[in-house]
Amino acid sequence: MTELMPAEGVFSLIWLLIALPLAGAAVLLVGGRRTNAWGPLLGVLTVSASAVLGIVMLLQMMQNSPEQRTFDQTLFSWVFVGGFQADMAFQLDQLSMVFVLLITIVGALIHVYSLGYMSHDRDKRKFFGYLNLFVAAMLILVLANNYLLLYVGWEGVGLASYLLIGFWQHKPSAAAAAKKAFVINRIGDVGMSLAIMLMFVTFGTVSFQGVFGVADQASEGTLNAIGLLLLLAACGKSAQFPLQAWLLDAMEGPTPVSALIHAATMVTAGVYLIARSNAIFDVATVAATTVVVVGVVTVFIGAIIGSAKDDIKKSLAGSTMSQIGYMIAAAGLGPIGYVFAIFHLLTHGVFKAGLFLGAGSVMHGMNDNVDMRRYGALRKVMIVTYVTFAAGWLSIMGIPPFSGFFSKDEIIHAAFEQSVLTGVLLIIGAGVTGFYMTRMFIMTFLGKARWEDDVHPHESPKVMTVPLVLLAIGSLFLGMALLYWGNIETWLEPVVGYEAGESPISTTASIALSLLAVGLGVLVAYLMYQRRAVPIEAPHGSWLTRAARNELYGNEVNDVLVVQPTYYTSRWLVWFDNKGVDGFVNGSAAFVGGLSGRMRRYQTGFARSYALSMVGGAVLVVLALVLVRAS
Amino acid sequence: MSPLLASVGAETETAFTMPSINYYAIAPILILFGAAVVSVLVEAFVPQRGRRPVQLVIVVGSIVAALAVTIDLRGTRLVTGEGAIAVDGPTLLMWGALLVIGLLGALLMAERSIDPLGDAFAPRASALPGSEDEQEFTRRGFLQTEVWPFLLFALTGMLVFVASNDLLVMFVALEVMSLPLYLLAGMARRRRLLSQEAALKYFLLGAFSSAFFLYGAAMLYGFSGSVSLVAISDTLSAKTGEGSLVAIGIALLMVGLLFKVAAVPFHQWTPDVYQGAPTPVTGFMAATVKIAAFGALLRVLYVSLGGLRWDWEPMLWIIAALTMLVGSVVAITQTDIKRMLAYSSIAQAGFILVGVVAASPQGLASALFYLVAYAFTTIGTFAVITMVRDASGEATHLSKWAGLGKKSPVVAAVFSLFMLSLAGIPLTSGFVGKFGVFAAAIDSGNTWLVIVGVVASVIAAFFYVRVIVLMYFSDPTPDTASVVIPSAFTTIALTASAVMTIALGVFPQWLLDIITQAGVFIR
Amino acid sequence: MNPSSYVVLSALLFSIGAIGVLVRRNAIVVFMSVELMLNAANLAFVSFARMNGNLDGQVVAFFVMVVAAAEVVVGLAIIVTIFRTRRSASIDEPNLLKY
Repeated sequence: MTELMPAEGVFSLIWLLIALPLAGAAVLLVGGRRTNAWGPLLGVLTVSASAVLGIVMLLQMMQNSPEQRTFDQTLFSWVFVGGFQADMAFQLDQLSMVFVLLITIVGALIHVYSLGYMSHDRDKRKFFGYLNLFVAAMLILVLANNYLLLYVGWEGVGLASYLLIGFWQHKPSAAAAAKKAFVINRIGDVGMSLAIMLMFVTFGTVSFQGVFGVADQASEGTLNAIGLLLLLAACGKSAQFPLQAWLLDAMEGPTPVSALIHAATMVTAGVYLIARSNAIFDVATVAATTVVVVGVVTVFIGAIIGSAKDDIKKSLAGSTMSQIGYMIAAAGLGPIGYVFAIFHLLTHGVFKAGLFLGAGSVMHGMNDNVDMRRYGALRKVMIVTYVTFAAGWLSIMGIPPFSGFFSKDEIIHAAFEQSVLTGVLLIIGAGVTGFYMTRMFIMTFLGKARWEDDVHPHESPKVMTVPLVLLAIGSLFLGMALLYWGNIETWLEPVVGYEAGESPISTTASIALSLLAVGLGVLVAYLMYQRRAVPIEAPHGSWLTRAARNELYGNEVNDVLVVQPTYYTSRWLVWFDNKGVDGFVNGSAAFVGGLSGRMRRYQTGFARSYALSMVGGAVLVVLALVLVRAS
Repeated sequence: MSPLLASVGAETETAFTMPSINYYAIAPILILFGAAVVSVLVEAFVPQRGRRPVQLVIVVGSIVAALAVTIDLRGTRLVTGEGAIAVDGPTLLMWGALLVIGLLGALLMAERSIDPLGDAFAPRASALPGSEDEQEFTRRGFLQTEVWPFLLFALTGMLVFVASNDLLVMFVALEVMSLPLYLLAGMARRRRLLSQEAALKYFLLGAFSSAFFLYGAAMLYGFSGSVSLVAISDTLSAKTGEGSLVAIGIALLMVGLLFKVAAVPFHQWTPDVYQGAPTPVTGFMAATVKIAAFGALLRVLYVSLGGLRWDWEPMLWIIAALTMLVGSVVAITQTDIKRMLAYSSIAQAGFILVGVVAASPQGLASALFYLVAYAFTTIGTFAVITMVRDASGEATHLSKWAGLGKKSPVVAAVFSLFMLSLAGIPLTSGFVGKFGVFAAAIDSGNTWLVIVGVVASVIAAFFYVRVIVLMYFSDPTPDTASVVIPSAFTTIALTASAVMTIALGVFPQWLLDIITQAGVFIR
Repeated sequence: MNPSSYVVLSALLFSIGAIGVLVRRNAIVVFMSVELMLNAANLAFVSFARMNGNLDGQVVAFFVMVVAAAEVVVGLAIIVTIFRTRRSASIDEPNLLKY
């Protein structure tokens, strides 16, 4: 049993981890144009300081015995009313520690990179302010010691992501993407808030310690309900099926945002949530199985979308979806999978950030063109980007000894321990990963130049390439380091639990199978894109390609299942004059908008009709009371 | 039989005995009432030029004095005026909130440097809109100082309303509170036709609703032989058999009170009045009337009808659900910001009702917290609206707010804060409030109502965030309004409400402690 | 005569008043209908005072009269202003605020 340590020594500064970037955000956003000159540097400094503090805490934490690595810091009692208590309190344990390091270190690198990437942007001070705000919110999310405070961070990262997706709001597509992300995340948030309330009703508390301590005493039905609601929340935040549609559009944001928020950190919050709630999912078997199904389905949706998109960022976004699918699936496996979900999350955070920043570096040199069909042969002009991207490419495919190999292989192996089917599906997924990543790599860096006429590709400045190099080194060594030197299983075991299962096939066999699948994928991509010239115009393609280009008709499915029925329902409701309804034709919002347009007509402006509704209401109230009393 | 009236009725048998009144306990009411009377005399005897400063001193001085006494009274728990007035924890809490909000409202009404023509009120409400007389009054810089006695009378009425322990006092307080507000609603300097229309509608419907209240009170009197809340409660528990008289009485009483809190289907006056009234008045009444009306509603339900909660709860469940949904849904397609906020206030009334129907001490506490949080946010919201203007006055059409974030980042940020609070985003007061009422409702088993509430708040989030999106994610157009730098009056009110919105979101505990200490209504 | 008849009468008057508010257009008449409702309540109070055998109801009636008088002052002020502006006392005509 882990004991709760008082936050003393360096751990009394847990709050400072959050306060630093938060203060940076406040100064940048309130200070306005006065901070233009030094603001971005301040943003970098605050996050870097948090990163240093995090590292110090890690070193200190390693001094303690594994049972004494959970530190609890209560700042003040936040809400305490009628038996309900939630504190402004933080909990730093092994799980949140690794997240703190991921967020602050990758965050700091991406801040540095943004110095170069955003150097020409008029509003870069605001950009750094939002980024700092995001880091602070994300740290609140992972450091909270109760679900309510976690929800604060959850909303905070949503807000920051929303602001950053729409950062280039002059593009209508960016504003629309921001709106879409907002709408879909709201659906997830409903799950989150209902889960919290259900927890409060069931357990009388929302603190991690309190809930997990008594989780096994609740009925399985209730726990399954909580688990499914949490999964809904996770699906929204982590772009998992069926709430995945927003992530591709979110690529409208600046590339460092895609790297930090939509690859490395925020989208993995769902995985964190499930791993953190392991005590619930261990008992809630139905919910846990659903988690695996959702994860596996998303592995394929993401991979297929990634295979067909010609937009380099959207292809990477599909890949992100797919990789998070691996993590979610692993988290659903239970104690055999949690640690590997987190392990893959960490390695993915690093190599995917590297890939996105590499893509950003390419775009930087190609006048912000994102169409891979107009790339090609960039290895000669962007040598650093080329090499670092290659490291990410090998890592995500799971080629030894790159990081992704260790983490993804552990997940596949754990999947076999649960069911052969899951394992096989994940291996096929790895094959598709090999295909689309090789396709991307070849189309961008190899082959012949297909550049537009006025484009003169060039390597990015040092401030951008140095983070690339560091992330590439991470892509190479992090997996080994965490597994062999860091002993990630034993490190996380006290928090999320770990048990090795019985696998029907040997480790060697599963490694061989997945490498074989990846090899096949690479080969197909090589034959299709290296041996044959890549046409500048996208070919018509098979039905699958076309479907994948259209994001597997995710929008259309949403449209047919949600938008159209609600639209027609509302059309039917608004059978007279629907002109008042504007905008707001997004999913069920169309229904609400239509309803609203119809209902506001009842506000006729005639005082007598208001009086009539009052009389009607009064009659109903009288009848209701008479009936209730009579019964 | 009510003791106060008993003493009057007893005159035939014995000599007249003075009712015993604890004058200090009701001193806040007396101070405001006295100040209101003095304020009327000032209108009559002080020359035109000197009235404004004198009135301001009287208003601010009396409110501060009343507030000081209220604070000194903390911990008091007694019934005075022969059972007519209850000064207990919730009363004092609401007095405090009403006085602070009233002070902020007074500051907004005192603002003179936003509009180049003067303050927010017509120089002479009697002058025909657009007539030569009116132009002459404007040119001479006349100011309507009659708004100050109205403000004081309205506040007096509210203080009595939340403290009233019998239905007669409650009815009189209801009228003392409402009549000045009807007039204030019709006094806007600009868009006078809208303002007058708002006043007419508010007055007619308000009078209509108070007739319902009064008839309900008559029915309950007929049933119990007394208008005292406690006596009615006692009779209700003694005579359980009789049905329809009580049912009609409670229902009609509810109609009157639910009208004031703007609950569906008694809400339709709200958008028209909020839109037409002068914005400082809208802010003042949106915040204070909500507190006062919910205060009275809570007292009636908890003190008088607590034993019948199984009778009135189903009705209030449905009304709360309808109020949340209708308010949130209709707000989505509004194009005028004041009108949108009016529907928002309807939705917020629904959320507070969720806490009210919990019918538990926790529900009472959560509703009180929500009211205070909502009041501060609301008055701040309308303070911002007074400042966003174009050539024709306040720019209330939403299209004119496009790109305001670029032109005036600080004001837009403050307004965004208020919107986030109304939407119930964590770390703002609105979140703590919503969480409180929902937790209380779940605690008393109304889970389905909470689900409706969560859905409604998701819908509501759209239109709150839409304003933020409009301000930050659109480029300014030539039509975009500009923000006028106000004098210290509005600045203080705005700063105070913004600070409270954040403070109650991050450190809500002190207010929760106060509310916990305030306890429940005295019986 | 049985005092409960007066209660029935008061209910009738209240209903007539309420219907008057709904069907009449002239603001003054609408307002008079509201006053009729208040007086119906007064009649109910007085009748109940008789039936309950105490004076509370009668005292209430006096208070209500005073309040009604105050309401008249405010109401007429508003209605007259509207009339001067619009040259009409119809309550359907001020219809700028809607939807």
